[in-house]
Amino acid sequence: MTHNGSAPYALQADRIWFAYRNHNWVLRDISLSIPAGKHTVIMGPSGTGKTTLLRVLAGILRSNEGRVSVFGQPTQELDRRHLSSLIGYIPQQLGLVRNLSALDNVLMGALGRIGDGQALLGLFPRDEIEKAQAALDMMGIAHKSSEQVFHMSGGERQRVAIARTLLQHPRVVVADEFASDLDLALASEILARIRRAAEKENITFIMSMHRFGLARQFGDEVLALQNAEIVRGFIGNEILETEQFDPTP
Amino acid sequence: MKSTLLLLIATALFLLAVLGHLGFFDWERLARGFRNLGILGRDLIPPDIGILPTAAAALWETVEMSFAGTLLGFLASFPLSILGTRRLFSPWLSGFARFVAAGIRTIPVLLWAIVFVILVGLGPLAGTFGIAAYTVGYLAKIYADLFEGTDPEILEAVKSTGASKLQLVRFVIIPEAANAILAQVLFMLEYNIRASSILGFVGAGGLGFVIQIYLQSLDYRRLATVLLLVLVVVLAMDGLSAWLRKHFLLSTQAS
Repeated sequence: MTHNGSAPYALQADRIWFAYRNHNWVLRDISLSIPAGKHTVIMGPSGTGKTTLLRVLAGILRSNEGRVSVFGQPTQELDRRHLSSLIGYIPQQLGLVRNLSALDNVLMGALGRIGDGQALLGLFPRDEIEKAQAALDMMGIAHKSSEQVFHMSGGERQRVAIARTLLQHPRVVVADEFASDLDLALASEILARIRRAAEKENITFIMSMHRFGLARQFGDEVLALQNAEIVRGFIGNEILETEQFDPTP
Repeated sequence: MKSTLLLLIATALFLLAVLGHLGFFDWERLARGFRNLGILGRDLIPPDIGILPTAAAALWETVEMSFAGTLLGFLASFPLSILGTRRLFSPWLSGFARFVAAGIRTIPVLLWAIVFVILVGLGPLAGTFGIAAYTVGYLAKIYADLFEGTDPEILEAVKSTGASKLQLVRFVIIPEAANAILAQVLFMLEYNIRASSILGFVGAGGLGFVIQIYLQSLDYRRLATVLLLVLVVVLAMDGLSAWLRKHFLLSTQAS
């Protein structure tokens, strides 16, 4: 399916159902279309399945029914390397390796492009190292590249995670509860940087969030997930003016 | 609450029965033991330091055996522990790897030494292989359990960059476990130094041979010198591993 026949949707979920066990559905018959180049925020109370939805959209979990496509290609039919060139994923706790430096963590974004032998020896091509440095620079922490993630602050870790995903060069990034643990000013600054990076690299972002203010700042579109179903989609400012649902837990 | 109390009482009764069976309540025998301890203590003093050159040479052999055996065992345990990680490989493959490690671990280090004395002849080479074999069995199990405990979210995040299994091992599993890997191998080295000082009993080289001779000839003053040397080495090892832990743990740079 395409948008006006030319611009395709970045991600589409077509009637997906998901249960971790038996028929205890976490997601029920969910369909959604994320336009390419737009940033979508998914909101909803805790325990409604936002994380599960994002993991299914990112191709990490496979839905029981229905299918997810990225730029028209069903994620189930793509191998891991091909999928990684299309979708990047940042889990809620960021998934950084604490014992390694920021630069090493960012370089992991290039693993899908380099061979096992080279990677095992830790020999990344020079241009990948330069691109990793540039990604850290774009996030404003180039000077921390050799610091261990273990010693970094929450905000710095968020930037490292984004830089890793930028090096991966995906066309879509799925991020779970991004910037949730940060104070408002810092979260706002990081999200502004992400928007700039996304525009420069032409990346479509999908994030779950629980703070309205940040969702309005970052999202072009806001979707609400309630009772295992997408209940409403909002664009821009409408969210505050018309919506009654309470996104906080 | 009541069942906990019953369990405690049952355990205490079982312990008393076992101690009785082992002769723990044979007071006369215990008193004789204490008298003998006094005599033995008197016979150990003063240590005969005249045998220091002989003992030091045997001690050096023991240290060599433990270092080489621990290192060889450590290297060999790695592939086995990675194959035994259920998060990475099928239950069949990881189950097989764990079975092999358990099999190796079942045989005590002294028995491994005997096996290698038969295979490669008397001397420290047999001891080194014996120590390496036992180390493989122990570390492969510890490391496989450790690797399995890797935070699944980190694995998922790095997997989504398109990383292969080998790359996950190199960039996530080993760095995440680096502190514990180092701590365990240091523990194993300490253990092996103590264990290898008796391997000479079965002809596998090192201090054990000397200890055995002095024990059999009731030459306790010379035995005392040897035991003091072992004590010095174990204390030195403790110091070394404390230093390594302080300098490398929590700030391990894995690449």
